[in-house]
Amino acid sequence: MTKSMAVTGVGLVSPVGTDPAEVFDATCTGRSGLVRPAAEHPLHGLMDVAAFSPAIDPVSVLPATEARFVDRSIVMALRAAEDALADAGIEVGRDVDPHRIAVVVSGVGGLALFEEQANLQASRGRLGVSPYLLPGVLPNMGAARIAIKFGIRGFTSSVGTACAAGAQSVGEALRILRADEADVVLAGCSEAPLFPTFVAAFGNARALAHGWAEPADASRPFDRRRNGLALGEGAGVLVLERAEHARARGARRYADVLGWGATNDAYHPTTPRPDGTAAAECMRRALRDAEVSATDIGYINAHGTSTKAGDAAELLALGQVYDGGTPPVSSTKGVTGHLLGASGVIEAAICLLALQRGLLPPTHNLEDPSPDSDADHISKEPRQVSVSAVLSNSFGFGGHNVSLVFGNPGEHGHVG
Amino acid sequence: MKDEIRQFLFDSLTAMNYSTEGIDDDTTLGPSGADLQSLALAELAVRVEDQYGVQFSDDESEMLAGMTVGEFAELVASRVQASSTP
Repeated sequence: MTKSMAVTGVGLVSPVGTDPAEVFDATCTGRSGLVRPAAEHPLHGLMDVAAFSPAIDPVSVLPATEARFVDRSIVMALRAAEDALADAGIEVGRDVDPHRIAVVVSGVGGLALFEEQANLQASRGRLGVSPYLLPGVLPNMGAARIAIKFGIRGFTSSVGTACAAGAQSVGEALRILRADEADVVLAGCSEAPLFPTFVAAFGNARALAHGWAEPADASRPFDRRRNGLALGEGAGVLVLERAEHARARGARRYADVLGWGATNDAYHPTTPRPDGTAAAECMRRALRDAEVSATDIGYINAHGTSTKAGDAAELLALGQVYDGGTPPVSSTKGVTGHLLGASGVIEAAICLLALQRGLLPPTHNLEDPSPDSDADHISKEPRQVSVSAVLSNSFGFGGHNVSLVFGNPGEHGHVG
Repeated sequence: MKDEIRQFLFDSLTAMNYSTEGIDDDTTLGPSGADLQSLALAELAVRVEDQYGVQFSDDESEMLAGMTVGEFAELVASRVQASSTP
């Protein structure tokens, strides 16, 4: 069986739109999704800049009796999954056996709704807490409710690796398909961290971008003036499918996931290993798994969150994999902000479109790269160049590193 | 008291996004009637406790699904009256 798997559907909820082409265009044109929370917003004063995704009526994805009490992260996961399945042209039962479709959809869970209920518990005691709380907030409930809504009876799970969770969900999907445990996997992540306690924690940890007069300037990965990340919310779901299954039903194919790698920094709960060695090994593992060489990679979508330490460590890691100059590199978080685990899936979608269109998005706001490195930064304008393989990095609190490799079907010796 | 409690039940169902159309005293709360499932019945019980101070034992909670709206309102009314009788 071929090791690479086809991506046949994409569903996104992001601060720069919900249509994959619209999201990709935003990363190329620099249309920013960053805003300052309005004066009456609960987050005003807690953060200078936020990346909000479009509102979704919960009743549009759930029965009214259930929609009343689920966290926004679950609502976004359901919308992204619905759009991904529609994009893939898949109806469970008709196009895939319900027992042969799996779900790996992740996220930190419904912490915003939990905070709300915790406040009610504190003020009103036990009677302030809804019996619906747990199915409305548990981190597995995105995956579970997707399975319930679409009648999916195969393996379902949620991965808990913080900002690497979305990318890891794609990697786990690859693992499931290679083991022939499913023909189709919905892989994704949904995060809704824009609520007071979460934002205050990030702010007090000095991780948030601050002091920018223009919100659109705040997220500037690899730039000398960067001073933190722009926190946002969003969701992404990809449909991964065994190539022969996709061909048999005449499915349109974005590109293929060729391989993945995962390592841990074994260093610190939040600070990345400064020497970049574990991240470098992660990228090498992904390349080995994908059976491509480092020089086959035509573009790298960096994790690049616009933090001092994180961006510097990633550049060091890139320098260890690429001695003497990297392929073109950019971080698209300059326009999307950092959507925690969901970033990995949204950036995977961006990589797929970069492959399709032969267009590489720039790092928005990158005016003065720092520290000095041999990285070939794409800045200011996108680059028109056909590439056959791309690599995407996602690194999470806890030292979790994940790299994904994508490629055009039929190339690199993989049976397409 | 029973009428007030019945109205409270209807208002609660509406707040929980359940339709009250066609529901009367003879409608069972559970699958064969108003179609409240386990969490919805649990929430209804919490709302009643919060409003009237009435609690239900585990055995009673398991029987709620089979009760009619009228029977439930009668149960709550009798508990309220019992607790207010010196």
